[in-house]
Amino acid sequence: MLEISNIYKTFNPGTPNEVRALRGVSLRLETSSFLIIIGTNGSGKSTLLNAVAGTFLVDTGSIKLADTEISRWAEHKRARFVGRVFQNPFSGTAPNMSIAENLALAARRGQPRGLGWALNHKLHSELRDRIRTLNMGLENRMDNAIGSLSGGQRQALTLLMASWLKPELLLLDEHTAALDPKSADQVIRLTHEIINRDKLTTLMVTHSMQQAVHLGDRIVMMHRGEVLHDLQGAERARVRPEDLLKRFDEVRRREQLDAAVAEMLRRNYI
Amino acid sequence: MTLLLGATTIGLILALLALGVYLSFRIFNFPDITADGSITLGASVTAVLLMHRWSPWLATFAGFAAGMAAGAITGVLHTKFKINGLLSGILVMTALYSVNLHVMGKSNVPLLNEVTLASQAESVGQHLFHTDGDLNILGWAVGVRDAAMLLSMAGLVSLLGFALYLFFRTNLGTAMRATGDNPQMIRALGVSVDFILILGLALSNGLIALAGGLLAQYQGFADVQMGIGMVVWGLASVIIGEALVGSHRIGLLITGAVMGSILFRLLVAIALRWGLNPNDLKLITAAFVFVALIAPATLRKLKSSPKPSAA
Ligand SMILES: Nc1ncnc2c1ncn2[C@@H]1O[C@H](COP(=O)(O)OP(=O)(O)OP(=O)(O)O)[C@@H](O)[C@H]1O
Ligand SMILES: [Mg+2]
Repeated sequence: MLEISNIYKTFNPGTPNEVRALRGVSLRLETSSFLIIIGTNGSGKSTLLNAVAGTFLVDTGSIKLADTEISRWAEHKRARFVGRVFQNPFSGTAPNMSIAENLALAARRGQPRGLGWALNHKLHSELRDRIRTLNMGLENRMDNAIGSLSGGQRQALTLLMASWLKPELLLLDEHTAALDPKSADQVIRLTHEIINRDKLTTLMVTHSMQQAVHLGDRIVMMHRGEVLHDLQGAERARVRPEDLLKRFDEVRRREQLDAAVAEMLRRNYI
Repeated sequence: MTLLLGATTIGLILALLALGVYLSFRIFNFPDITADGSITLGASVTAVLLMHRWSPWLATFAGFAAGMAAGAITGVLHTKFKINGLLSGILVMTALYSVNLHVMGKSNVPLLNEVTLASQAESVGQHLFHTDGDLNILGWAVGVRDAAMLLSMAGLVSLLGFALYLFFRTNLGTAMRATGDNPQMIRALGVSVDFILILGLALSNGLIALAGGLLAQYQGFADVQMGIGMVVWGLASVIIGEALVGSHRIGLLITGAVMGSILFRLLVAIALRWGLNPNDLKLITAAFVFVALIAPATLRKLKSSPKPSAA
């Protein structure tokens, strides 16, 4: 279970570049639930995921995972609980190392690494079996460098790596956004399979309303560092892509209204 | 012949330098200049301990350990104090100059009558070959000391190179390679990038200091100036090695670094023999590394430049 209570994050505080990226976000995510996060550009979706993963420490607020307060932990320590797939297919794998070596690294996520062999026969054949289920023919290229693979293949492998040890929490940040439509479909199907099979607690950011509606059991819409809508249960079940788009329009209209009001105030008073 | 044997032996010893440079420059992509100071540190610590009648093995190991400490300090400056990598190395290298003078108490320590690994190798050689004069190998007269030193260094370097290869296939070693390749990824898999970098730089400078300790015993002295320009020499060896093996496989790259170091020393010996002014050696080496660094990109540009017929 993930419990985020009232977290705040301001980048570059006290400078002209100050950004209040998270402004009191609270979320409670039951074990095995699958939450989709949507929101306009710059609304703080990635920042929320980074805050949970530990890319930086939040200014205030608490983050609890598996009944442990982790908000002060370093990123590599949190990795014991968290599996992660990034938006950029280059981010999740070591390009000059082989497919087998990359997966072997993931097979020890969050565990101490000593002088045992990274790859042995048992692990190698286990890896091969799992890679075969991707249906990408990669099981015959286990010793090739990952750098030679396509973005879609890399994201599929990164997903496999992130979920290898069944993390307490899986974080997916627009992990299909950089892929061509066909690869994106393939990776989304794989995402669905893995999360369903292992009942993983998941936070996924997406810009695709189709994905938002067809995956997951709850939708959160963020705006300006806050949670604006939280659709669950019956409300979530009824929702269609058009409804979500309408909510985006609302946000946009309100934004324009705000801008217009500000302009009027400025003209009248300054 | 003695000239070539000597060059090969020095090439073997400095192969450890090349392996250390390979570790920092290639595995971590970290331009670690500490090497210039740590190779002298290894030499001075080993030499002084030998003067105090330590066993050669222990004295050599102490040099290795001192180098590890120096590398770890560079790593800490970079990771914990966020000092630019190049600058961290320069700071430690500069500090080491004074440290080395303090360790030796003067700028040069001769090893004349001390028991060293070189003198031990010589006596083992005399025992094995039943002579204390020259050996006759294919018609050439070869000193027992030279032959024994060459063989023992070949053994030691093969052993250490193989150990390094095995290390890179362990959990820790693969994590180290991944840290250089994609720090963001390995952090997300639970590895402290800071710790691995400190450990890696310690290992790298340990190997480099070991080269220094062995070199001091082979040439019979430690000198506070002996480290100047060593990083570039190590880098030249690594680059030659990469060209020789033309592969990205870790085992071949390690072999390549060793071969590169030997080849580089042979080339230097031959060039000096043909009348190259020793004062020009560092300039020529630097120019060589410069050319080797820009050559791949330049070749690519030449290849991919559109040809009029294709346009
Ligand atoms: N490391 C950082 N330093 C400074 N500002 C940052 C940093 N990370 C994010 N921001 C800012 O915080 C705000 C929220 O960014 P974030 O990346 O979370 O948005 P997002 O919702 O993921 O947007 P997108 O849909 O474009 O990915 C943005 O204004 C962004 O510029
Ligand atoms: Mg984002």
